[in-house]
Amino acid sequence: MTFAILEQADIWRLFATGLRLTAELFVFAAILGFGFGAALTALRQSNRWAAPLVIGFVEYHRNVPSLVQLLVWYFAVPQVLPAILRGWIEQNLDGFVFAIVALSLNAAAYISEDLRSGFRTLPKGQFEATEALGLSRFQALRLVLLPQAVRACFPALVSQTLSLFKATTLAMAIGVGELMYVARRIDGQTYATFAAFLVPTIMYLCCTLAIMFGGERMQRRLVATGADSR
Amino acid sequence: MKAVFAGLIIAVGCIEVAHAARLDDIRARGTLVCGVFGDLVPLGFEDPKTRTLVGFDVDVCKGVADSLHVKLELNTLSVAARVPSLQTDRVDVVAAAMGYTSERAKQIAFSAAYIQVPIPVLVLSDSGIEGFNDLRGKKVSAIRGSTPELFARQKLPESEIVTFDDGPLAYLALQQHKVQAMAISQGAGIGFRNRSERKVRFLAEVLHWEPDCIGIKLGETALLDAVNAGLGEMEKSGQLQTIWDKWFGDGTEYKLTREKKLTPLAEFENQP
Amino acid sequence: MIDILSRFGTSLLIGQFPHGPLGGIALTVVMSAVALLCAFPFAVGVAMARTSPIAAVRRLAAVYVYFVRGVPLLLLIFWAYFVVPLVTGVGTSATVTVICALVAYEGAYLGEAIRGALEALPRGQVEASRSLGLGYWSTSTYVVLPQVLVSCLPSMVNQFIILVKDTSLASLVGVHELTFSANQINAQLLTQPLEVYALLAAAYFVLCFALSRLSQFLESKIARIRSGSTGSAAVVAIAEAI
Repeated sequence: MTFAILEQADIWRLFATGLRLTAELFVFAAILGFGFGAALTALRQSNRWAAPLVIGFVEYHRNVPSLVQLLVWYFAVPQVLPAILRGWIEQNLDGFVFAIVALSLNAAAYISEDLRSGFRTLPKGQFEATEALGLSRFQALRLVLLPQAVRACFPALVSQTLSLFKATTLAMAIGVGELMYVARRIDGQTYATFAAFLVPTIMYLCCTLAIMFGGERMQRRLVATGADSR
Repeated sequence: MKAVFAGLIIAVGCIEVAHAARLDDIRARGTLVCGVFGDLVPLGFEDPKTRTLVGFDVDVCKGVADSLHVKLELNTLSVAARVPSLQTDRVDVVAAAMGYTSERAKQIAFSAAYIQVPIPVLVLSDSGIEGFNDLRGKKVSAIRGSTPELFARQKLPESEIVTFDDGPLAYLALQQHKVQAMAISQGAGIGFRNRSERKVRFLAEVLHWEPDCIGIKLGETALLDAVNAGLGEMEKSGQLQTIWDKWFGDGTEYKLTREKKLTPLAEFENQP
Repeated sequence: MIDILSRFGTSLLIGQFPHGPLGGIALTVVMSAVALLCAFPFAVGVAMARTSPIAAVRRLAAVYVYFVRGVPLLLLIFWAYFVVPLVTGVGTSATVTVICALVAYEGAYLGEAIRGALEALPRGQVEASRSLGLGYWSTSTYVVLPQVLVSCLPSMVNQFIILVKDTSLASLVGVHELTFSANQINAQLLTQPLEVYALLAAAYFVLCFALSRLSQFLESKIARIRSGSTGSAAVVAIAEAI
């Protein structure tokens, strides 16, 4: 068991690039995942024809392992595209982009389900009340319904955020140089296995505990403000 | 904390001493546990018809087990798991394109080299890439934890090396233009090239000539000597040549001649 | 695709069995089942520790749960596979190491689900049983756990689905489960990743979708049996916890 490698600046530079890529994967996938998840919920609620499609989308992502989804996006999906599009993808997109696509769609499927159950907790009278007040559908959603729905399913959304952060590790399977990839690389080069895995474990724990405790704090504040407004 | 680590190190040391006579263990249980690849044609892979593991390294293992007069038990390993599996006694020996490097020699012991193969670079046939100079700024795939990865990083410092967990994935990345080249040992590389219907070709330059040995846990000198003796017998009886011809010879798609016979490790030990 | 199935179907289903070790879908299911069975008593222990009357036990269990939930499963598997054997000097097969990692992981998640059910049980039940003169252990064994475990049944099936999906990570340390089998087929064919990965995704989908229907069936059945009683509240509570 040797920690000598931790005295090398190069090793820390590698860890830092890995951590940065992990953070980028997470932030992009989270923004897209939440946006797309909300869109899916709206689509399912508003359009009778879209509902079965959304259900199929959600079931696919719930019943196939994330790793397999990632492999499908990276190695299989480009094969069904027309040659011109495929050529452009090959030229311009790397594993990083595919990882974001796969991770965000997976997160979107779960988030849309959570939001839907959040909306279901709202009494029907709420919507009628917004109509009576003369709010447009969009205004009603943005100002009245969405904040309450999010509040209702907030713990679930925090746990989806946590899952998404942890799922970024899978991107190493398609050659994305995030933190786990870096750990494996340092281990392979130096054979200082313990140190190579200890450092990323601490880094991951710092981030995930921040998400968990931050989420709990926000939840408490939401409950408090929710009680006030009622 | 320090005391805990010291205690652990002592514990590890004790276990190593207790197991130093691995050869006796192998004889007592009557099986040699050999680590091989499970997904790299023609070194170690599952034959779809019989659903058993076959391949060049599998046959080498069989020969070594025979020379020890014990049965063979195969254990498939990923590339990156070879060294740790030896260190943690998951397997007795590893025969899986185990290239000698001085860095690895600090972790595990190596037998004599039973083959010496080049590590070439595969590129797409229509890519116009002719030499290592053309790979500047391009992406090169390799298997995680393999010697091709190591030598690609050394010889192609201006290329981005992208690693995958197994050979087929690293190859798919090349075939789908996700990388522009792939560093892979020759045997597996030819397999990929031939099954690609010549969509990929080798560059003339090679990254390294690699001696492939059987890997053994450090300190197991009796086992090391026995494996070396077994390999010596296999070379003398022509068995190693027969195994080579079966998997790489003129009757195969590889058509490679075996240029170097069994070579003692001492010849490489002053190499990087 | 039919062609791939006829050439490699058996391999996808059972691996090298019976000439060699079990693999493919069969190993995926066996690994998940073994991990769930081993995780179950552990998870009950974690849940009881989380609700224990002793503060130190509660805190220790909380640290464990937060730690496990904070670490990506893949990292846990790499620790179990690469690091722990180096430190302890004890190495077992990749399959067993991954099962151990899954048990540690599930212990926390399933434990939280069981805790949810424990807390959903009305306090009056425990108070009534204690006032009848039963001790902590008797109350737990005869009053609390039987009710909680029945209401946990659907969530057990859900955890089984999660485990089936999580075993796919074992392919990254060379365990011959379903995903690894697919990669092996890729190694042979090389030119048909689309078909191979579509098959792989379909295999997981069929397996997990069928299991999720089973879980819904169990949920409605249990809810019906105990409708009006406290059980259905517990079921809802667990369903929300997951």
